[in-house]
Amino acid sequence: MDNLNDLKAIWLSAKTDDLPSSTEMLRIVKRFRDQKLRKKWMVIIMAIALAALMIAAILFNKPTLVTTYIGQVLAASACVVLAVSNIRSIGRFYKLNDCSNKEFIAFLEQTRLNQLYFYKNTQVWGMGLSSTGLLLYSYEFVYQNMLWCIITYSLVVVYILVFFFVVRPRGYKKEAKKLNATMEKLKELSNQIK
Amino acid sequence: MPGFEEIYSLYSPQIFRVCMGYVNDHEQAKDLTQETFISVWKNLASFKNRSKISTWIFRIATNNCLRALEKSKRVMTTELPFHLPDVPPEETQEDKLRFLYNCIAELEEIDRIIISLVLEDLPQAEIAAIVGLSNGNIRVKIHRIKEKLATKFKDHGQFE
Repeated sequence: MDNLNDLKAIWLSAKTDDLPSSTEMLRIVKRFRDQKLRKKWMVIIMAIALAALMIAAILFNKPTLVTTYIGQVLAASACVVLAVSNIRSIGRFYKLNDCSNKEFIAFLEQTRLNQLYFYKNTQVWGMGLSSTGLLLYSYEFVYQNMLWCIITYSLVVVYILVFFFVVRPRGYKKEAKKLNATMEKLKELSNQIK
Repeated sequence: MPGFEEIYSLYSPQIFRVCMGYVNDHEQAKDLTQETFISVWKNLASFKNRSKISTWIFRIATNNCLRALEKSKRVMTTELPFHLPDVPPEETQEDKLRFLYNCIAELEEIDRIIISLVLEDLPQAEIAAIVGLSNGNIRVKIHRIKEKLATKFKDHGQFE
């Protein structure tokens, strides 16, 4: 096209004078905190703290029943699963410092696949471990009183059932729909860059 | 290595125009420019000079643009209710610019990025490094995009 220079002249006529000045921008960036990564870090810290608490409870509390031990180990394992999956996810973000559009689209695709895997598998395992852990852990505190036993277990079982059969499927359906739509768009972008 | 303020003063107008070419929305382009420089500020100390600093900054900016599709539906071309007007645009510079943005908005996402970088006068090798395609591939793509744009402009009485 012979008129590329005309296009460049039009292109360069875009007004950019309402952009913040460099001093203002410096103020903005210093105020900024990465909310998304901060949330992930919080989850990791909480999960590690909970797992440490469980282990400390085993060491110092000396439960009498083996079910309590198993319950605590299972609950601690669930916390470790949660921490590890978030640490792996953060590691991928930090590696992403200087990459081309092609590499970035591949990164986004992998991130969405990981998210789907988390909802389909990791979350089920984590919740399964912590639910079983909770049931076993509670046993020592209620087994001598039948009424307390029934009340506690009914509440815990109802909570687990509601989570697995109402809350989780709803959340998964919503997330999966959103993720699949994004995946389709990413596939389209990926095709453009071949 | 230049300081952040120097980098910002030098590249912010270019980054804004590239973002504007991609999203065709002034406010969103400003947000994307801001996000770009937040990333630049966060990672400037760890920038290892494996690529030119301009390549690095344009990579961050265009990746932010691509990511915008996850945040906003406004960017998705398939959902743009936009159609080029049947009558030629008025002759003011602002109208011509709007017409150019609208023509670019009808292109596919990666093509929008490529033509924006071409209009910013970046060398083809640098565009190839930003997008992640070979030089040959970029050359062919640029040629096709120019043809598409020329057709759109000619269809609307421009460049006769």
